[in-house]
Amino acid sequence: MDSFSFIIGGILPYVVVPVFLAGMIYRFRSWLKAPQPGKMTLFPAGGSPFKEVLAETLFFPSLFKGDRVLWVFAWFFHITLALVFVGHIRVFSTMIDGMLMKFGMTSDGIDSMSSISGGAAGILLLATGILLFVRRLIIPRVREITGIPDFLAPLLIIAIIVTGDWIRFTGHFELEQTRVWTASLLTFSPIIPADGMFLLHILLAQALIAFIPFSKILHFGGIFFTQALIKRS
Amino acid sequence: MNNKDSMASVGVAAEETSVSVTKAPPSGKEPAKITREKADEILNAIKAIDGGPKVLKLYMDMCARCGTCAKVCPIYYGSDEKKYNPSLRSDIIRNIYKKHHTISGRLLGPLVGAQDFNPDDLGKWVEDSYSCTGCRRCATYCPFGIDNSVITRKIRGILDKAGLTPETMQKVVDISLRTRNTDGASPEAFKAAIAFLEEEMHDEHGIDVRIPVDVVGAEYFYVPPSGDVLVNPEATMGLAKVFHVLGMSDKWTMSSTCFDGANYGLFTGNDADMKADNKPYVEEAKRLECKTLLMGECGHAYRIMKMIMEPAKWWGDLPFNIINCMEWTADHILKGRLQFDKSKNSQPVTYHDPCNFGRSCGITEEPRIILNASCADFREMYPNKGENWCCGGGAGLSAMDDILEFRMKVSGRKKLDQILETGAEYVAAACSNCKRQLSQLMEYHKTGVEVGGVHDMLSRAILINGKAAERQQY
Repeated sequence: MDSFSFIIGGILPYVVVPVFLAGMIYRFRSWLKAPQPGKMTLFPAGGSPFKEVLAETLFFPSLFKGDRVLWVFAWFFHITLALVFVGHIRVFSTMIDGMLMKFGMTSDGIDSMSSISGGAAGILLLATGILLFVRRLIIPRVREITGIPDFLAPLLIIAIIVTGDWIRFTGHFELEQTRVWTASLLTFSPIIPADGMFLLHILLAQALIAFIPFSKILHFGGIFFTQALIKRS
Repeated sequence: MNNKDSMASVGVAAEETSVSVTKAPPSGKEPAKITREKADEILNAIKAIDGGPKVLKLYMDMCARCGTCAKVCPIYYGSDEKKYNPSLRSDIIRNIYKKHHTISGRLLGPLVGAQDFNPDDLGKWVEDSYSCTGCRRCATYCPFGIDNSVITRKIRGILDKAGLTPETMQKVVDISLRTRNTDGASPEAFKAAIAFLEEEMHDEHGIDVRIPVDVVGAEYFYVPPSGDVLVNPEATMGLAKVFHVLGMSDKWTMSSTCFDGANYGLFTGNDADMKADNKPYVEEAKRLECKTLLMGECGHAYRIMKMIMEPAKWWGDLPFNIINCMEWTADHILKGRLQFDKSKNSQPVTYHDPCNFGRSCGITEEPRIILNASCADFREMYPNKGENWCCGGGAGLSAMDDILEFRMKVSGRKKLDQILETGAEYVAAACSNCKRQLSQLMEYHKTGVEVGGVHDMLSRAILINGKAAERQQY
């Protein structure tokens, strides 16, 4: 194992995870702490704020009314991202496999299901990610509010998707390696998979994770706060 | 009263205070060089966002820059110049906040959109913050509910502290704080106006319809915008008639010292002014021992009372409740207590939802109940209610004649189209600011469409002893 892969797979995770957690806790605390005098309610309101915030988080109804084209790109991008995120649990543990096997699925069955749904998700995620980026470039009202960070974040995400898709679509990647890696990280004796594209993928992913608390990607946490404030009647 | 007169419906004040009409944006002149201390003060005000309000802090952190706000903004619809993009306007302070208050901004600077404060930009700050109508339409469609009007108001508040509020706005605030009304009218002038309205109603119906003034112990204390008494008074007459028909003429009162809910502190971003303007009204309501504060057809006045002052407990728990006169009247219509002769209002009528009533207070059905009951041909304009387009004069802009061109050609453009599409000959708007903007808009574009209030229509059609008003020449 060369020192380069050791840094990416054996040291960075111990930096990135605490940075992410501390950053997010700091943000959430500061949001919770700030006072809000007066009401921000936007009408029509009066339903259950909990349900409405949940609906906003899952289906983006406000955006649906405001910009239908963006909604199609954004909703499919985010829902696929969520599915890919869930799918990645398999990469790190055998928990999901165990559960599915209890329902009578065979190991091969799980693999082929994962390969089909994961493959489809990987393509859809890349397509919608690129569409969102192209939209940013060609629509003047979006282009003119796009600064350096607004280019960096999507490019980083697209690079992560491309490397992930590369791993999925070029030959077979043995999940045993990553499961061993995860377990080894927990015991502070990292065993790192020797796969260049995998290392690049996790390097970029870790950059993104560390970046989240300090970037506009915070919208995934902030939405609960802002939407709750305008939905309460 | 015709359109020309009602153009002054925000008040004499606006007429008195308007500086010469120029095509220049509100900044007009270059602000004087500010001192070092002033610059520090401005920076500190931006850093203080960290302490709240909560929404402002969140908006500093989480805009995804998707451009949806620009798509639904009435200003950007009117002109897609870069400076009218809501997200960029908000960046005025967001970038500085990032530079000084976030670890990432300090370390990475422009990589995360952080920028330092440049005092030379203040002229642009004035121009940009006074070209947002604060309509909150962006927040309705933003996937995260980011309300750019909150940021606009913060920018205005910072400018106000630096003494850079446009003269036209500052004069309205000053007059209101001095005289408790934006028209600068004395109690005597108010009483004379009320006597005149009672005479008018006598002429219309041949009987006395009273408007009680300064009655301690009356159940309802009615606070309209002063324009609805002094300039465009049909709405107040309409409400007086409702009380009369219900046999409740002795159950309500107005105040000769507090007859204008308008409060421009909301628009200049100065919280102290907003509270100072509000306080005498709450004290007067207590002095009059009313059970209900009945707010008139003034969107931002009602919003301040109902959504800001009361929930934020500025003056503690209140011994009265706060409702709007349209809720009150609509309730009595639904209970079948009021009758109308719709033929008195036979022309097509549409309703413009003032942003502060529709989006911000949820008063949307009540005006429609009143208009449907009193007009023969009521037509909706689309989109409406919470999704309605701003008249183009919100957040105090309609009082600024130095930006008339902007209001007529840019901010009011969508509304003009919307109104013309309905084919209406009368646009009802329950808001003095909207009424002034819309009257000017209709006049400027030579549409011939009349603009007025909601209770105005009621006043013309309501039956007293089985008879509607003999129409006077207004």
